[in-house]
Amino acid sequence: MNNSDKFGLTVNQLQSLVAEGLKGGGDWCDLYFEDTTYTDLLLRDGEVNAGGFNIDYGCGIRVLAGERTGYAYSETTDYPSLLSAARAAAGIASSGRFTAVACNAKPYQSYSMQKDWRSVSSGSFVPFLEKIDKGIRARDSRAIKVVAMLSYSVSDIMMYNSLGELTCDCRPLGSISISVIFSQGGQLEKSTASRSFRKGPEMLDDALVEELVGLAVKGIDERFAARRPKGGKMSVVMAAGASGILLHEAMGHAFEADFNRKGQSVFADRMGKRICPEGINIIDDGTVPFNRGSIRYDDEGVPAQKTYMVTDGVLTSYLHDRISASWYGVAPTGNGRRESFRYNPIPRMRATYMESGTDGTLDDLVASVKKGVFVDQFANGQVKIGEGDFTFYVQSGFLIENGKLTMPVKDINIIGNGPQALSDIAAVAGDLRIDNGTWTCGKEQSVAVSCGIPSVLINNLTVGGE
Amino acid sequence: MITKEETGLCEHALGYALANGATKVRVTLAKSQEDLIATLNGEIDRVTHCLDRSLSVALFCEGKFGSFSTNKLEEKALDDFVIKALNTVRMLAVDSCRDLPSTERCEKNAVSGNELELVDPGYHDISPEQRKRIALDASIFGKPGESCPELVSEEGEYSDSIYDTLLLDSNGTRCRHTETSFDYGVEMTVEVDGDKYSGYWWHSSSRLNGLRYGECGPKALKRAMGHAGAVPVKSGKYNMVIESDVASKVVSPILHALNGYSIQQNNSFLMDSLGKKMFPDGVNLVDLPHIKGNSCSKLFDSEGVATREGPIIENGTVRQYFINTYMAGKLGMAPTVEEPVRPALMSWPEKGLDSRAIMKMCSEGILVTDFNGGNCNSATGDFSYGIEGYYFKDGEIVKPVCEMLITGNFLKLWKNVIAIGDDARECMSKLIPTLAFSKVDFSG
Repeated sequence: MNNSDKFGLTVNQLQSLVAEGLKGGGDWCDLYFEDTTYTDLLLRDGEVNAGGFNIDYGCGIRVLAGERTGYAYSETTDYPSLLSAARAAAGIASSGRFTAVACNAKPYQSYSMQKDWRSVSSGSFVPFLEKIDKGIRARDSRAIKVVAMLSYSVSDIMMYNSLGELTCDCRPLGSISISVIFSQGGQLEKSTASRSFRKGPEMLDDALVEELVGLAVKGIDERFAARRPKGGKMSVVMAAGASGILLHEAMGHAFEADFNRKGQSVFADRMGKRICPEGINIIDDGTVPFNRGSIRYDDEGVPAQKTYMVTDGVLTSYLHDRISASWYGVAPTGNGRRESFRYNPIPRMRATYMESGTDGTLDDLVASVKKGVFVDQFANGQVKIGEGDFTFYVQSGFLIENGKLTMPVKDINIIGNGPQALSDIAAVAGDLRIDNGTWTCGKEQSVAVSCGIPSVLINNLTVGGE
Repeated sequence: MITKEETGLCEHALGYALANGATKVRVTLAKSQEDLIATLNGEIDRVTHCLDRSLSVALFCEGKFGSFSTNKLEEKALDDFVIKALNTVRMLAVDSCRDLPSTERCEKNAVSGNELELVDPGYHDISPEQRKRIALDASIFGKPGESCPELVSEEGEYSDSIYDTLLLDSNGTRCRHTETSFDYGVEMTVEVDGDKYSGYWWHSSSRLNGLRYGECGPKALKRAMGHAGAVPVKSGKYNMVIESDVASKVVSPILHALNGYSIQQNNSFLMDSLGKKMFPDGVNLVDLPHIKGNSCSKLFDSEGVATREGPIIENGTVRQYFINTYMAGKLGMAPTVEEPVRPALMSWPEKGLDSRAIMKMCSEGILVTDFNGGNCNSATGDFSYGIEGYYFKDGEIVKPVCEMLITGNFLKLWKNVIAIGDDARECMSKLIPTLAFSKVDFSG
């Protein structure tokens, strides 16, 4: 089975479109068909009183001439419209010929949805959101406002390229995001919680309600009591899980091969060199079951894989799309991703994490710090690729004084330099956890990712404060 | 750009929804075209052609509400879409506050779409060769007298686009907005003593002849080179001057806090602030949505409600919340507009100040030229952001700084405003000039 019927084209027509794209002299052409339905339901003020869906349908056509890209798309998939898009994309090259190759269909791949989201009425998910609302209010009477949103999408994808490879996929993604306002003595505080999986509606069970309610009310006493620390350079213990944002911002982006190919990354000339202490392995993985960042194929039809970026402290691989892989003379790593058919693929992360270390437990790491901060909940981050300066925003944590957690802290930004932070990793605990929050990376285009890390101790990060 | 046939599709969708049980309907068709030429080190790297259409339908049915969109615009597909959308709405809870805006509030003069003169009449005549020529002309990589040996990467992007929006509702409101945009931006990466530094600059205009692409490369290169050797300075309290092109970072959270959704959800550090003096006398923020020829000007909001010029903050007193029809019902307040269109911060304490004059006024401090991450707690106004820029003394730049953080609370920050410049960039959606504040906590 493949999706060519769904998009109303024959294999012969796919071949003709590729031939048209390469008529101008390009050396690669691929077609990316997408039919996505995105649905959301919103609970506000105790009732699920808003919802909707968005249908997005079309085909992107890319032509490469060396590293140069021509890209066009059409929101209809009738042959004449696609032919016009192929001609527009072909404008990147000036001359050349294409010989048609036989179609090589890859097996149809689907994520293991027990039930397709599209086969269930969205109204049946209303009780799930209501349980979350009631659970939060029952657990903490200070909760005065709860907003909970369920969003889910299913994308039917078909890719065809000038190697004759036909690849089809069906990608589900379900997410729940919660925002709660608490009031205590006239003071307001806010908490957020989210979970996201590549699963069908079977993910919406009581265990998930319980997990989300627990996350939403966690640490509220501490947030009301929290203060800003005195800012400056200090040791930072990062809890397992969401602290993986450190890897995403401080290292992951700088390992994306397009930045390195263009000479912009701080790691552009560091391949094969030691960049952090021995024993540390940093991975970008598209194969973690049901993970938000996982993909069966990337958006160039390359099978997903587990890519070791850092092996035993040495930089061993960038994250490649087909362009950078060809430029570096290596195989693509399955990182060519895009937001939708409207965008050309570029190297992007999937699930980025560090393997467990051997330096004991989180408690051991905290006990080893005389003065520093412990951080466990995060919002957003950013990096400057050339300089390597990265930041991430901490929603909650504690001061560490003489090996003990003391005053709660909140709403502080932490800044560091990627290469320096990597070499300043002083300890890695054995408790790797991959976070299942709704992480979205915004490098030119938005794509679903995730991150994880064991508890780590990093020296000399700059902590914002008063 | 929107054709008669496409207008007919909008009218058909509206009528079909009413005929199948909707009590009220709003249909919005957004259509756009963009051509983009990206260059890398003075050569064409990417050529992109985009043509988008999306039809959005807001459905009010049996006291319930839902919002839907599709880009499958064949009539049969559209009918199926409307029926499926109506079935979805019927499963939601009744919400008595949902309604279309009254016709009295809606814009009546946005007929041609070009009332604000935001369309370049020559847009459709631009050839692919002309686009390539502009992109290559704008590049300074390797050009004697403009480039420099330290430059290792120049990544530029020229684009031109046209946006056309048609809004119809079942009360008879009919509004159209059309706008062209010409944009150029370039990122320079330089290598100095083995370390890399980057700088970015951009310009935008609704007219091609207003696009100052030639100034972008030199300015981006100057910014990149200016950061060479940057290090943190000692943590402490400093005067902070924020350059106009990034100053909206400390204004946007205020606008967010004045939004009806934030107020209704108690997720605002400006709760109960309407009519109260929350900022110093010198703070005057107005919305200027109707400046002709000025990118981002607009006659109506996403509900079709007429935008209006007026104060948001007047002499430090909050004069306006941004309340749409739904939030007006929820809050029991009079509706205004959904959000500001062209918020502009007026100069203070005198006219004509730019960043140089304001640094002289402050004498010593840190000039912030860019932000690096960070966030704001919308309920409390507490913020923490990464910054880079320059340490200045006696009004003159002394050295570049990086890897530093500012931390504070927005209400306290604005109480310490020293000056508001007169140098907002007209190409930006928010007209925010250079700003200066005292006693800001910097960590480095």
